[in-house]
Amino acid sequence: MSIQTLEIIRKRLAERPEELSQARKNGQKVVGWTGYNVPEEIIHALGFIPVRIAIGGDDRLVEVGARYASSKTCVFIREIVGAFAENEDPYIQQTDILAFDATCLQNFRAAEVIEYFFKKDVVVLAVPRNFAEDDAKTYFVHEANEFTRLLEERAGSSLDTAVLAESVALYNDIRKTLKSIYIFQAAKDNVISWEEVYDLIQAGDLLDKKEYLTLLQQTLVELTELQQNPVIEADGDSRIFISGSLIPRGDRKLISIINSVGGRIVGDDLWSGILPHIDLDIKEISPAGVALAYLNRTPHAALPYLDLESDRRLKKLHELLSQSKAHGVIYHTLRYCDPFTFKAKETKNVLAKSGIPLLEIHTEYAGSDYEAMKTRVEAFVEMIKIKSEIVEEEAA
Amino acid sequence: MSKQLFRYSEENKEKFLESDNITFNDGSVVTPEEIWDYLTVEGPVKYPGTYEINLSQGNRDSRDEALPTSLKTHYLSLTFSARMEKAKENGKTIAFIQGGQAVDPYTAADTIALRPFLVGQWYHGREHGNDIYKSVLRRKQSKESAFHDMSFEACQTGGYEHVQVGDLPIDVVAPYTVLRCSDVSYGVEAHRHGPNKDVKLINIDYPMRHQADKPWAIEYFARNLRKLVKTLDEARGKTTTEDDLWRAIKLHNEGRKLGTELADLWWSTDIPPTNSDDRGSLVSLANLDMHGDVQASLSVLKEAKKIIAERVKNGVKGHAVTDNPKRLFILGSCVGINESRSEDAGAIVVGKDDQWSHCTKLVEEEGDPYYNLAKATLEYPYEQSIEKRAQWTIEQIKKSRADGVIFIHNWGCNTQAAISRPIVDFIKRETGIPTYIHERDLHGLRDEQEQNRVNAFIEML
Repeated sequence: MSIQTLEIIRKRLAERPEELSQARKNGQKVVGWTGYNVPEEIIHALGFIPVRIAIGGDDRLVEVGARYASSKTCVFIREIVGAFAENEDPYIQQTDILAFDATCLQNFRAAEVIEYFFKKDVVVLAVPRNFAEDDAKTYFVHEANEFTRLLEERAGSSLDTAVLAESVALYNDIRKTLKSIYIFQAAKDNVISWEEVYDLIQAGDLLDKKEYLTLLQQTLVELTELQQNPVIEADGDSRIFISGSLIPRGDRKLISIINSVGGRIVGDDLWSGILPHIDLDIKEISPAGVALAYLNRTPHAALPYLDLESDRRLKKLHELLSQSKAHGVIYHTLRYCDPFTFKAKETKNVLAKSGIPLLEIHTEYAGSDYEAMKTRVEAFVEMIKIKSEIVEEEAA
Repeated sequence: MSKQLFRYSEENKEKFLESDNITFNDGSVVTPEEIWDYLTVEGPVKYPGTYEINLSQGNRDSRDEALPTSLKTHYLSLTFSARMEKAKENGKTIAFIQGGQAVDPYTAADTIALRPFLVGQWYHGREHGNDIYKSVLRRKQSKESAFHDMSFEACQTGGYEHVQVGDLPIDVVAPYTVLRCSDVSYGVEAHRHGPNKDVKLINIDYPMRHQADKPWAIEYFARNLRKLVKTLDEARGKTTTEDDLWRAIKLHNEGRKLGTELADLWWSTDIPPTNSDDRGSLVSLANLDMHGDVQASLSVLKEAKKIIAERVKNGVKGHAVTDNPKRLFILGSCVGINESRSEDAGAIVVGKDDQWSHCTKLVEEEGDPYYNLAKATLEYPYEQSIEKRAQWTIEQIKKSRADGVIFIHNWGCNTQAAISRPIVDFIKRETGIPTYIHERDLHGLRDEQEQNRVNAFIEML
């Protein structure tokens, strides 16, 4: 059973680079953005075409990036830098302006390195480490206003509040629809897989936003026709939740391994997945209102939080695990991705208290560790399958 | 095979005894005679490793014994652990901080501020009788335990192992979250899952991206500094006034000025008045935090400046410095080369950016002390954009007349490693000076492979 709209989306993605090229010829500008707290609505409302810079899985580009940003930078950032060095990625080629944030310090360093070596026009949104404090929010409002001012300069026009309201409404609809679709993949007798939904989410990084919303709504209609009442319940499957470092387009190594050994992914809290689309509540239509809504979401692991008990990231992880009825977590850490590697053991210990097993998979974009990863993932999937079967038998 | 041990020569004793006392924060004084006694009797028994003549550590069979302040910094290092224990017994508050930051607000709040290196020095100084290899093994063991609890890809574990797994009585973990190191702020967070629940945690949030040009960033950091002082006050049960902060700023400005003057004197002559090690240990006194006692550092710094001025005037060359050495400038956080071995190869280290950039920024002494302090801190050259930082570094290179630049980063230090190439690229382009980037391990003995690269660079120069 296939969802026809997904085929349309794949086709539209293939056509998108040429479409961007034409739009630029017609005077539009493309803003390539990356960062957990970049308020994309502001970019959109200023008339730019936002495109997320998130690529992975190419070990050769990682090597190229290391020549500029050292081999000690995380592989994702190295690949981005490498992609700018080569300038062959069809989306990177189309960027006129870059908008990076400093949520992850390595992302900030990437902005500096790309600006220096490749002479790109980079606008950076600084992000406070003490994000939960009122003082930090005041500071962040200033930074959001400055970020907007710098983009306005490049747009040659001021941000119109009415247009921003339209962009916010559009993005809110996208987020709402994505959340509705996301339920289907985790449901019993699902007609769409998590992998398909994950690709669907990432398609939104590249496609025109209005068209994307229409395609999402079509997808939802199709899903509802096929499965009217999706119910999420624990079953005999090895229900896996993915957490940790992002898994951008181009990187499907871990996902394919989980699939190949019979694991079923039913949820994630990845920066490249559903997480950025949940809990975003824009209370005021202004740069400050939008930016604060981003900062008030479930925080990114790159932002330190000093009280374990009230950590909203861990609370959200628990909540999503409960919703998805996952049996175990595969915690993906990329080489030199400090925000997540520093928290691996802690997260494992926290989840252990709730009886949820966690397997950390530390990897990079080379294929050399494929079999080693597969062995570990297979053992984990087998272990939780046996456990879930026992639980199911006991319940019966 | 028995180990060769260094001993201070009796023939230098008389001259040393004529030098100045060291005065400490609590008003106590130690005389040169007491220092001599410690260095020749107690020190070798407690810390034989530091007297070992071992090329891996860079020890020589002789040191600059005619430079009294060299002996004094050695004394302050060897007595560091015992002095910290005593300070705790006397109720002093002790905070963990970041390297490369000034400590004015900590001094104002009557708190000893210890950077990661010093936290390790305190912990390891508690155990006596170790030779070099035992000391290194012990350090590696504690680091392994921290890597297990944090991340094996951490360069800097921020003393986590000593505060959490060990029993080092640090009251507050309160570093600036400067860009020189991202591991430290993750390290602060890691304390939340450690067994030691008594230690207070606070990140002093350092803004980024043209921060010194943004009034709101300065205001934000000033508010962070107020929170820092409040946290330190809560830990010690007393209140810090603005007058306390002004006094601390003035005291530290004096240290920064003296350190800058000392460096300028050192750079003013073609004949290096000290070797690399002595230069580094004296210039690093400028922040006054180096030995856990601001007054002790200040008194040695004052004396050092007089001695260096005299040496420069009389054309005295530093101990074991070769004729016309190749002058090296070292870049990067928490790094250095084996200085004595590099001197043997015909070079001398004439400067570093780390542990120096923050000493070059004086704090204005009129207005709002928190704002002034925040402004000066956000202006640290080391924390600026690639071009600004590189431009400032070029100024230091020119002042020091360096012949070559080495950017070193420790394994796992992403924030410095990431910009090592653009920084040296800029410097090379603007000055034509040869540069190279060098990766090393923060922990353990410096090995032959590393020295081979340094020596090859020196030979090329």
